[in-house]
Formats: sequence, C-alpha cells, structure tokens
Amino acid sequence: MQVSAEYGLLLASVLFTLGLIGVLVRRNIIFMLVCVEIMLNAAGLAFIVAGSKWTQADGQVMFIFILTMAAAEVSVGLALILQIYHQLKTLDGDAANSMKG
Amino acid sequence: MEFSNINIVDVLPGIFLVTASVLAMLSIAIKRNHIFIFVVTTTSLMGVFLYLIFYASNHKFNVEPLFVIDGFGTFVTGLIVMSALAVSLLSYAYFEQREERKEEYYILLLLATLGSDILVISKHFVSFFLGLEILSISLYAMVAYLRKRNKSDEAGLKYLILAAFSSAFLLFGMALVYSASGSMDFSGIASYVASNPTLPLPLFAGMCLLVVGIGFKLGVVPFHMWAPDVYEGAPAPVAAFIASISKGGMIVLLVRFFDQINGFQYPVLVLAFACIAVASMFIGNILAIQQTNVKRILAYSSIAHMGYIFVAFLAGGELGKEAVSFYLVAYFLTIIGTFGVIAILSDHDRDAELLDDYKGLFWRHPKIAMVMTAMLLSLAGIPLTAGFVGKFYLITSGANAQLWWLVIVLVVSSVIGLYYYIRIIAMMFEKMEGTDELALHPRLYLINLITLVVISVLIIFYGVYPQGLIDRIRDFLY
Repeated sequence: MQVSAEYGLLLASVLFTLGLIGVLVRRNIIFMLVCVEIMLNAAGLAFIVAGSKWTQADGQVMFIFILTMAAAEVSVGLALILQIYHQLKTLDGDAANSMKG
Repeated sequence: MEFSNINIVDVLPGIFLVTASVLAMLSIAIKRNHIFIFVVTTTSLMGVFLYLIFYASNHKFNVEPLFVIDGFGTFVTGLIVMSALAVSLLSYAYFEQREERKEEYYILLLLATLGSDILVISKHFVSFFLGLEILSISLYAMVAYLRKRNKSDEAGLKYLILAAFSSAFLLFGMALVYSASGSMDFSGIASYVASNPTLPLPLFAGMCLLVVGIGFKLGVVPFHMWAPDVYEGAPAPVAAFIASISKGGMIVLLVRFFDQINGFQYPVLVLAFACIAVASMFIGNILAIQQTNVKRILAYSSIAHMGYIFVAFLAGGELGKEAVSFYLVAYFLTIIGTFGVIAILSDHDRDAELLDDYKGLFWRHPKIAMVMTAMLLSLAGIPLTAGFVGKFYLITSGANAQLWWLVIVLVVSSVIGLYYYIRIIAMMFEKMEGTDELALHPRLYLINLITLVVISVLIIFYGVYPQGLIDRIRDFLY
C-alpha cells in the first residue's frame, strides 16, 4: 500500500509536538531527555519520509547520522545526570536550577 | 551523491585537527602530561593557521557536495583557529591550578574547533548538521568540565537539553525543507526557491523551524534564556569559547545559507530577523544593567552583540559580509580578552565573577585593570578601539541598505549598553578601603598575561589603524 508523504510528515509533526510538550511540561530530568529523543526521532522520521518521497537515499543517511548523534548526546547527558544526582540526591529539574535562568 | 576528485590537501585543516586530537587521546592512554598535550594542541592550531595563510588563501575550490572553501570561509576559519589558540593559551594556567584530570579538555577543545571549522565551510545540510553536533557535543562536556562545582554540572545539563532541543528544531526544519525542495544542497534549495517566488507552506514551516533552531544556537532574543546560566556555570575559558567561536561559526553559516538561497526575497523572513535583531539589542542591553555578576553581564552583552551583527547580516551584499567579518574579528578578540581577565583573576574555588571582585582592581593589579579597561571600552564601542570601528562598519552597511530603523536601534541600545561597561570600569578605579578579604589572590601566569597584552594591543591597533585589516578582509572576500 502506498502512503502519501503528507501523512508521514503529519505523523512526524505529531510526534515532534508530543516531544515538545513533554520537554516543557515534565520536571524529571530523565524524562526531559527522553522527550528530546522523541523530538529528534520525529525529525529522523520526517527525513525518511522526505527521502522516500524523492526516492533518494539521503533521507536515510541523515537518519543514521541523527541516531549516532542522539546516542553520543545521551551518553554525555546520562553522565551529567549521574553527577547531578550525586550532588543533589534528586532528579527534579527545578532543584537543579540554582541559577535563576 | 558522489565523491570525486577530492584532493587530500584541500581538506587538510580537518585532518590536522582530528590527528591532533587522536594523538592527544593516545598520549593520555600512555602517560598523562599536561604540557605535552598543550604543546600538541597549540602546534596543531598553529599548523592549520599556517596552512590557511600559505595554501588556502590563494585557492578557492569546492569539495563536492559538502564543502565550499572560499575566501569568506578561509578568513573565518583562520579567525576561529587563532581564537581557539588564544583560548587554549588562557586555559593552561586556569586548568593547571584546578582539575586533576585536565588533559581531556584539549581533546574536546580541538574537536569543538573542528566542528566550528566545518560549520563555516559547509554548503550542505549534512555537513551543517555534523559540524554543529561535533561542536555542541564537545561543548556539553567542556561546560561541565569542573565536576566538583554544582553550577558547572547544572550549566552543562541545561546546555545539553537546550542544545538538543534546538537541534531537533533545526533537523525538523531541514527535513521539511528537504521534503519540499528535494535537495539538501544549498544550491539545490536555491534553485527551488528561485522557482517559487511565493513561499510555499512546507518551505515556510521548515524555514520557521530553522530560524528557531539557529536562534537558540546564537542565543538571540527570544531564545536567549540559556545563555546567562551557561556562561555563569561554565569555566571562564569555556565561556569565552562559547561566546566567540561557537556563535561565530553559526553566524557565518547563517550568512552563507541566506546569501545562497537568497532568503531576502521573502519579506516575512526578513521581518522575523529584523524583530529578532531589535529585541536582542534592546533586551540584551537592558537586562545586562540589572546584573551583578560579570559573567552574566557578558552573556547579556553577547546577546546584544549578536543583535548588532544581525544588522549587517540583514543588510546583505558584499558590504554586509565585510562588516560581519570585521565585527567578528573585533568581537572575538574582545570577548576572549574579557573572559581571559576573568580566568586570570579566578582562584582555586570559584571564578572572579562578582562585581565586587573587581573593586579597586586598578590599585591591586594595574596591568590587568588596564587590559580589562581596553576590553570593556571595545565592547562598548568607544573610539580608538576595534569595537568602535566594527560598530561603525555595521552602521555603514545598515545605512547603505537603508535599514534606518535597525541603525537607530543599534545606536540607541549601544548608548544604553555604555552604562554597565562604564560601571565595571568605575568599580575597578574605586579606591580600596578597609580589609581586602574579598580580593582574590591570583597566581599570575606569564603566558596568560602575554596573551592578554597581545590581544589588547591588537584591539587598540585595529582601532587606530583599521585599514590593514579591512584590506586583508577584502583580499580574502574578492
């Protein structure tokens, strides 16, 4: 069955919005990180849809780059979260907000 | 996509930086030696700079499909490499007296420089994305490098979440532009844009998301809220790196992208950028007045400076590029110098970031106070400093493109900005009274002092005699 590119992009934007809401609403740092991952993967999905629309491999190439980058980022992020947990004994985003930004 | 005729010499700067960072990593595995890694870092940066002067400055070529190595790119790459060199010179003493494991910092520094270098020469979404992420991911670790400080971790995590957040915006924007135009190459997008004088919806949505993502990376209003916290929490040399090299790479990419796809034909986008510029200039300067922390003041000041650069960016054309190049030189020198002063005054436990730390500095350390004064005057744009000539250049390019509103806002907000720069200077010349328990006792290192003196001499020199630098920029651009 052929699914048109618009539907794919629509699905990607719904996922993206869900992730966006999650980052803004969630206060647990790990969940914020998870929601950012959802946003990144939504962008990856959009790339795959766009690639298949133009029947080019570029979209999938980009998706693999996004996966790689997300993995690198999560590894740094989790290391920082561990460090913060050691210091504050909590993962509440508001507790880790001593500088009022 | 096919890679044909890649001359290995053409991509030498990247290879140089990667080799140096791998070498540094391997040498840590064998034996930790701060001086050795420091020497590897500085030599490789010098090597890249010499390559740029002797080879790249008279070669213009494309590395299809990812990179374009033109005069503009070469000039800014040289600037980035020299700034990275200055930052690493300032870092040596700073990290020597703090962290036990300070060697990895230089690997991250080299990689971040590489990322910024890729950004300024990219002409394709893939290289744009890769350069940006190499830069950002190295910076997360650099911001949180001093693990024992709470603020440092907090700043690192904030930077990570917001940078990943903005990368998601950028990527989604890229995907939408790609799905509309069928090309990730800037020139491919340009030909699609040229055949669509009215902005089609997917392209419009994609461009909006790109603007949001780029806005976050540059820290312009209304996407600026991360900047003060990250500057405050990051070690002083890293804050200098973020304020100069990471933002500069992004600005150059924005100029190149917009220039190539001719985004100026869409009034909506121009209006959006003009609003961002006005908001950044005003809000940056006004919020800076209320701060008592020098690092936060500098964060807001760099928000305002990004707004100033946007004036030349919106003016576009060759004069706009010249103005952006000149302003970047002046701004890089100044902001690195200012953070260098903060680094030199910092003690083991914390950075010298409060206004009170600068009270009576002139009577305690006259040399450093003079350097700091020169930096602050240049940031404020007082005549006889590079900052003044840079601002003059921006105004000229803005007036040339008849962006009167932006030029007026630039002038007015610079006047507002004068207040907080002068306040720090007044603080430094205040007479010390009572005990100096607040006074920090820095261990002065010769290498930092020499770097700072060179930077301030350059600032004054380019302020008194800008023609040499202007001619140099024109040589590169045309």
